[in-house]
Amino acid sequence: MSDWRVPLTDVVVPEEDVQAVLACLESGWLTMGPRTQAFEEALAGFVGTPHAVTVSSGTAALHLALLAAGIGPGDEVIVPAFTFVASACAVRYVGATPVLCDVRSAREFNIDPADAADRITGATRAIVAVHFCGYPADLGALRELCDTRGLVLIEDCAQAVGARFGDGEQQVGTVGELGAFSFFSKKQLCVGEGGMVSTASQEHAERVRLLRSHALTSSTWDRHRGHDPAYDVVDVGFNYRLDEPRAALGLSRIGRLHENIGARRAIVRAYRERLAGLDGLELTFDEQAVERSSHFAFPVLLRDRSARDGLRDALKEQGIQTTWYPALHSFSEYRSIAPPGGLPRALEAAERHCALPLSSTMDVGDVEVVADVVAAALA
Amino acid sequence: MASTETFPDLPLFDLQLQPQDLEAVAETLRSGWLTLGPRTAAFEEAFAAQLGARHAIALSSCTAALHLAYLAAGVGPGDEVIVPAFTFTATAAAALYCGATPVFAEIVSRATPSLDPSDVERRITPRTKAVCVVHYAGYAAAADRLKELCDAHGIALIEDVAHAPSATLKGRKLGTWGLAGAFSFFSNKVLSVGEGGLLCTDDDEVAAFVRSRRSHAMTSGTWDRHSGRTDTYDVVGLGFNYRIDEPRAALLLSRLARLEQEIERRRELTVRYRELLSSVPGIILPFEDAEVPSSSCYVIPIMIEQDGRQAQVATRLRDRGIQTSIFYPAIHRFTAYRRRYPEVSLPVTELASRTELTLPFYPHMTDADQDRVATALAEAVAS
Repeated sequence: MSDWRVPLTDVVVPEEDVQAVLACLESGWLTMGPRTQAFEEALAGFVGTPHAVTVSSGTAALHLALLAAGIGPGDEVIVPAFTFVASACAVRYVGATPVLCDVRSAREFNIDPADAADRITGATRAIVAVHFCGYPADLGALRELCDTRGLVLIEDCAQAVGARFGDGEQQVGTVGELGAFSFFSKKQLCVGEGGMVSTASQEHAERVRLLRSHALTSSTWDRHRGHDPAYDVVDVGFNYRLDEPRAALGLSRIGRLHENIGARRAIVRAYRERLAGLDGLELTFDEQAVERSSHFAFPVLLRDRSARDGLRDALKEQGIQTTWYPALHSFSEYRSIAPPGGLPRALEAAERHCALPLSSTMDVGDVEVVADVVAAALA
Repeated sequence: MASTETFPDLPLFDLQLQPQDLEAVAETLRSGWLTLGPRTAAFEEAFAAQLGARHAIALSSCTAALHLAYLAAGVGPGDEVIVPAFTFTATAAAALYCGATPVFAEIVSRATPSLDPSDVERRITPRTKAVCVVHYAGYAAAADRLKELCDAHGIALIEDVAHAPSATLKGRKLGTWGLAGAFSFFSNKVLSVGEGGLLCTDDDEVAAFVRSRRSHAMTSGTWDRHSGRTDTYDVVGLGFNYRIDEPRAALLLSRLARLEQEIERRRELTVRYRELLSSVPGIILPFEDAEVPSSSCYVIPIMIEQDGRQAQVATRLRDRGIQTSIFYPAIHRFTAYRRRYPEVSLPVTELASRTELTLPFYPHMTDADQDRVATALAEAVAS
């Protein structure tokens, strides 16, 4: 294990979280019980969604969201090419075909509604709006597009819990028919492995609940409480359950989530102030987007791939960890589904960006350390 | 007692963790590293060593392990996987995930509710890619005969070892007979953690495939990147998020150290339970006393001799605060499967499913608890 001077992310689990998990373990009830229910209620309240159903991962959330939306073999689902691979995998799990589309620009690297519209065919059933790095996609345009063309809008909120859409307080995950969230260890709200589906539809919520636990008509918890021991299996379901210790951890952490997102935003602003105007570096999005984003990651743009790689090397030498996210169609597995003409803006975003360290526990001193090394490297 | 919200005073299972287990989890949480890191690697190594398998790969669930085991065996659309119907639905569902057809085979009898190799043999077709054997309740099915049969037909044997960690057949650990073994660490299991599973294999290629597919077929993980080993990654197939996380790995590692001891305790309790139950008229006690020392003794299943009384006996026991369960309703009778495969008929399995009850059982169960269950069962069956 190497010791980064400034790691890419840093998960801090305070004592109150540890105690919440220990209390759960001491109770001896480890699956689908009162803590999961309480976590789901807290999540629904936080996001502002009528239904929040926890699952084992963001991938599982996308999978079940697509199933609940009735997507299946023969269908096409439009997915931006600049996203984590799970956004496309989930489409393939249900037997449908992911159709990659481009992002707006390297600077505004979320799904381009106009390009998405161009890729709609008779087989298209849904669009996956990814709120990449925490920045909300253009939900207004996407909602309208989906409504006009009779498509389902699914929000991939894996990196964007707490991000806001529009001018008010409405959060992502409440505009599409379904939203998929991740509580993976590097996320704003992390429990290790975990995820959640949000939806306003009672029917969708029930379907997700059913399919996350093998489509069993009753759970171990129901039976423990004296409900009928008999059950039916009414569909092909999965084991996508979250367990109680993770629910306990999430429940403990969600109380600090607004504050943590605020801390991330403050770090991003400190970065932007110090990096603005550096020759050879371009900030992404604008101040309004920064205000709305929940800041999973902080990507900046360099001139080209080699400048980006050079900067990353310089930062690494100084003990500063960075990363970058490849475009889907640059992976061996997805090369063949790149459309003719490619997806130039997604590729440009992937090749030019570098994600700098970001966590809610960083301080301005860390930002200065990173900014100084960046400035020196670009000078 | 209200009949709809009654916590049984003798539950089906009851989990008690030790202070060192809690400490292991607390230490992991405080470390701040929560996914696929050193604790997962340490647990996998310890589990593999204890099992005598070359590779152990920790996963999110046994369902995930079965899915990846079938995929590793080359199961795909149009293929068939022979499975028992007297098992949890995951054994069959995992075949459907691969686009394959689960072909249900019979158990031997109510006294030996394990997959019947002769019936399996009859169901092998040119499309059969794998057979999955379930070691029901922790007792070894005929993995030896099934292995021979599979080898003769050039198909893979997969073991569903969800119930049977550390159980053996002819001195060899279950899970190591076939191409891969799928373990469960679900909360009511012998080695439990909440949600979790594991795949073991001696085959290097299978292990590499499973490691790749459990984490989206990415060529490197977060931990590799954090530890400076690599910078970027490729995606080389259709993978999944079937990862376990570090707190669960830490809990499993802590509990694994006591597994043999806990199973020993389960065996002692099972011997005593069986003695009591053998004098209850009107029930069949599956398996033989001689099998207990090589079993993991996961649960205590009984079969009511007379058909049609399962619900009545379960209700009578519940009214006395004794929880029971049905291990298992026959998979092919579930709505989802009846719709797909309406023609399946397995009389022995169906009778077992209609007459089975699983009794309360856990390592800290007292003699008095056992006496109470046996007495209540005798009365419930008699009246």
